Amino acid sequence: MIETSAVSRRSFLTASGALITCRIFSLPALASGTGPAGSGAPGVATQRIEGLSKITGKKVFARDFQARDMDGWPNRQWHAQYLRALHADRPFERLDLSALPAEAQPARVVLGDELRETQAAMSLSFNRDLHVEERIEEEAIEAMTASRIGLMSVNLPRNILYDLIVQPNNRPDYLGQAVALLLFDSRASYLAARKALLFNDDSFQVYGAPVSSDGPPSPGEPFRPLTDYVKYHDEFSYAQNAKGYKDNAEKYREQIRETVARHPEFIIQNVDAAMQAVDPMFMEPESGLVWIDPASATMHLLMGTQSPDADIDNILSLYGTDDPPAPVRQINLTNCYLGGGFGGRDSSPFSLMLALAGGFADGNPVSLSYDRFEQFRVGLKRHAAEIDGHIAVAPDMKLQAIKMTLTFDGGGRRNLSPFVASLGALCAGGSYVTPMADISAEAIHTENISGGSQRGFGGPQAYFAIETALDELAITQNWDPVALRRANLIRKGDRTVVGGPITQSLRLSEMLDIAERHPLWADRAEIRKDHKEAGRTYGTGFAMSLQAYGTSGDGMVAAVRLERDGSLTVSSAAVDMGNGSATTLGVVIGPILGANAARVHMSDYTLAGQTGLGTKSKPKNWSNARWTPKTVGSSSACLTGLHQVHTAQQTATALLEGSILVAAAEIWGTGAVSPDDVVWDDGRVTRIDGTASPLDLPRLAEFIYRKGLPCGALGHAYFQNTWAEASYDTPGGTLRLQLDGLSFYLPDQSDPQFVERQDGNGPGWASRRYSRYVWAPCVNVVGLTVDEQSGAVQIENVLSVLNAGHLHVPELVSGQSQGGVAMAISYTLLEDMPPGMDGPADGTWNLHKYHVARAADIPLGGQYVRGGRAQELITLPPLPGTGRVGRGIAEAVMCSVPPAISNAIRDATGKRFSALPITPERIREEMRR
Amino acid sequence: MTIRLSVNGTSHELPDSRGTESLIDFLHEDLNLTGTKLCCGIGICKACTVQVVKPPSPVPTAMISCSTALSSLNGTEIHTIESVAQDGIPDPVQQSFLDHFAFQCGYCAPGFVMATRTFLTHLQARPLPPDQLEEAMMDAIGNHICRCTGYVRYFNAIRDLAERVNAGEEIKL
Repeated sequence: MIETSAVSRRSFLTASGALITCRIFSLPALASGTGPAGSGAPGVATQRIEGLSKITGKKVFARDFQARDMDGWPNRQWHAQYLRALHADRPFERLDLSALPAEAQPARVVLGDELRETQAAMSLSFNRDLHVEERIEEEAIEAMTASRIGLMSVNLPRNILYDLIVQPNNRPDYLGQAVALLLFDSRASYLAARKALLFNDDSFQVYGAPVSSDGPPSPGEPFRPLTDYVKYHDEFSYAQNAKGYKDNAEKYREQIRETVARHPEFIIQNVDAAMQAVDPMFMEPESGLVWIDPASATMHLLMGTQSPDADIDNILSLYGTDDPPAPVRQINLTNCYLGGGFGGRDSSPFSLMLALAGGFADGNPVSLSYDRFEQFRVGLKRHAAEIDGHIAVAPDMKLQAIKMTLTFDGGGRRNLSPFVASLGALCAGGSYVTPMADISAEAIHTENISGGSQRGFGGPQAYFAIETALDELAITQNWDPVALRRANLIRKGDRTVVGGPITQSLRLSEMLDIAERHPLWADRAEIRKDHKEAGRTYGTGFAMSLQAYGTSGDGMVAAVRLERDGSLTVSSAAVDMGNGSATTLGVVIGPILGANAARVHMSDYTLAGQTGLGTKSKPKNWSNARWTPKTVGSSSACLTGLHQVHTAQQTATALLEGSILVAAAEIWGTGAVSPDDVVWDDGRVTRIDGTASPLDLPRLAEFIYRKGLPCGALGHAYFQNTWAEASYDTPGGTLRLQLDGLSFYLPDQSDPQFVERQDGNGPGWASRRYSRYVWAPCVNVVGLTVDEQSGAVQIENVLSVLNAGHLHVPELVSGQSQGGVAMAISYTLLEDMPPGMDGPADGTWNLHKYHVARAADIPLGGQYVRGGRAQELITLPPLPGTGRVGRGIAEAVMCSVPPAISNAIRDATGKRFSALPITPERIREEMRR
Repeated sequence: MTIRLSVNGTSHELPDSRGTESLIDFLHEDLNLTGTKLCCGIGICKACTVQVVKPPSPVPTAMISCSTALSSLNGTEIHTIESVAQDGIPDPVQQSFLDHFAFQCGYCAPGFVMATRTFLTHLQARPLPPDQLEEAMMDAIGNHICRCTGYVRYFNAIRDLAERVNAGEEIKL
């Protein structure tokens, strides 16, 4: 039973036409019993902080809960089931439930025409990346201007305008779009209906004759904005020429063409890659509960989402209108731990459809719980893509130009596709420096299941294209593939294809050295010989990636509190999808505060509202203490490694220097104590000069609460190539912190006290157009065998050389890498999901059709031994002076393993497979040619 | 006619009319035991694995609960993940998974725990030549799907225990 009084935290006011309060709740199973991870040495995790709850089967996932588990909810529950569109080329006319048995009849049926205008095709926004959002604004302004002067009619939907539930006689915009909501007042009727509907839903939907498509956008049209990166030496680029970029891009594109044409000695290597969509296949199908209490006009939500901020915003768009499905003045969200995510629960439509169901349930709690068939049918996918173009290389191996067009299948309902396309375009430049680039990327509207932000965010598709093309070039020119890459490595100070500078040390050359010397690569001829003697066809593949992480501007928030008993609590808006973010945030404050957190609260979306900062506060510059460019964003492991950790540590520093050391000084009766005067020794703050007795955290907490000193700090940070920083007056004096917002919690006060930002200094507007600033480089070598008769591929060995920066929790880093390797193998060789009604949109797909990697598909050893099967991970030790800064992990591996596999198959068989997945059937077919 | 079974030591009698219901629905709906996880619902992923003992044989078997009808469980003793830890103290398998950081999202973890306990119980009863251990592990647990971890840390944790059990060390399961 969730006892709301025990777990309720703070509230946050927001407005969207109406004032709605949002409160966040966490699960009691996770709020306590976290001792094992917290009991390690400061900074060291002995196990996952939420591990005991998960491994003992406690209720931690959204799917574990029913209304009866929720304190204060009615002990009854309705069940929701959406029926899904089967055609996107003809109008949905009506439902015909006459064939549904009497015991399976719903208590209520909601069709699209029952939704009021503001809900029928509501305006949803998907904001993710500041520089892309600026392009959206630019296009909107251009469109308005053009419309005013009557020059053109621009098809420019800023937001989603599709029917949430298709209105009768409208043509569905995509397969799987909801055509009806069925609500059942008993589990028995719900189960009976599901049984009747499964694999048979075409018996209950009536469609008209095919009609021509309409918009906006029509099938085949791109979702706006488009991405177009033209770079011409140091003279012109997207990042460097913000003013007049669009006007001049075509001129420089032509100059690139002419330059390449003037050099017949340039070697032109075609780029030609394609990949199907894949399902994230997180283990827990999406599930949730909603109850709108009519008495208090409160919407209670329990779900598991990677993006509570975006989800709540969109729910507010639905219920914050003048005529919502039901009156709502408050939203209470319990965001559970997620049974996997990988981006598939980032801005997922699920939460909105759950909230919508609540509005039609007559005050009853409602469960919306997908089964695996439905999850395959409607869950967000990694984008299918087609990539073509060419690269021009001089005879000395130097890359001269990259010309590439990336076309992503955005599916039916615009999700984060334009943002994915934008990052894909950046990644198309690979890990290399090129004087000229002409890269276009778009995500087009199709009838297919929507693409989302799945692991790699456009990177896996782009790196596959560039790395297989380079491999082919090396083969045709008889060049060493490592030497070719080495000749073109991008380094600190170089500019990307976007034009932004590389400001981090990448150490790509060092990574190539390690991989090149490794016996898996160095001895590849001998290994091949071994296999040949045993009758096996063996090949070795090499690939590298430079996956960017974060976005073009990231806001993060964290709270660190010293409880009355001396224990520590960390709260963060970040979500833990299993990536270990909670554990990491729990231990990274340990070296600063002498102990790891005993509790970590994740998904606390309300924290941002408590910072006192806003993106709309004017003036929008650093002199305004209330302004920040971005409050919070999405969650991923790599964002934790750098961004969230930084925020938690700076906030912990504020608590230490702004309160704890003040208390220590007063207890000791000395003057001010600086961090340089003390160390933490066995959980006690200890003077280095030995002039006073050490103090433990319970003693310090007792003093702090008695004297009314800050017992917690709430910090907000903003990163955009550099950290925003400012000075803050605290009881411990003025602190200069890499935070753009700071508040203190005081004893017995629920709301934090805002501390005025002084001398604020942060990144300017220009660097936003760099697109990305931080990188997770990875080199992969893959050794594999191919059965030429069956087409079966066995991955024998994988070497990953990763620059992961500082490893906050080494076990989590290697675990993320291993998960990335497995997912990449699965993506490349196994996951075969055709589009349209040949794929999961037909409602019949499950793991019997969709194969993901099992243990036998993965090399399980940890250290390469010739003749064995292993995946060896080599992480670079951080350079001195680079601090305890982490970088991305699984996304990096996800980007370079697939091309390394394709390159290895090329090496083994002499055949190039440039389309994914590389299934046994395709290998057999190619080998027969 | 009734279906008699026990779950975690508690006896239940169910009317024969419920025979077509799946075990996992009974666990979730009737007993509110949700530690056993539903993933694919068609018996492929093994996330819903529980241990079942059918007397007179005391030897447990690992069984998927999503596709097992109650009618087939008459006279059985069923053990779910909720029965494994005693007074909040994890059993050796759970502790090994924790120590190795074996799971990530953890949704598949209960199924891995129940299958591993079954495997080790069999191994205790009948140790194997060491060179057959890896294959036996793969036979017993290799079809469990995990999407987060890449399996390496799971199998490291299982291997540690299996080698100790196979060497005769007494590990209480």
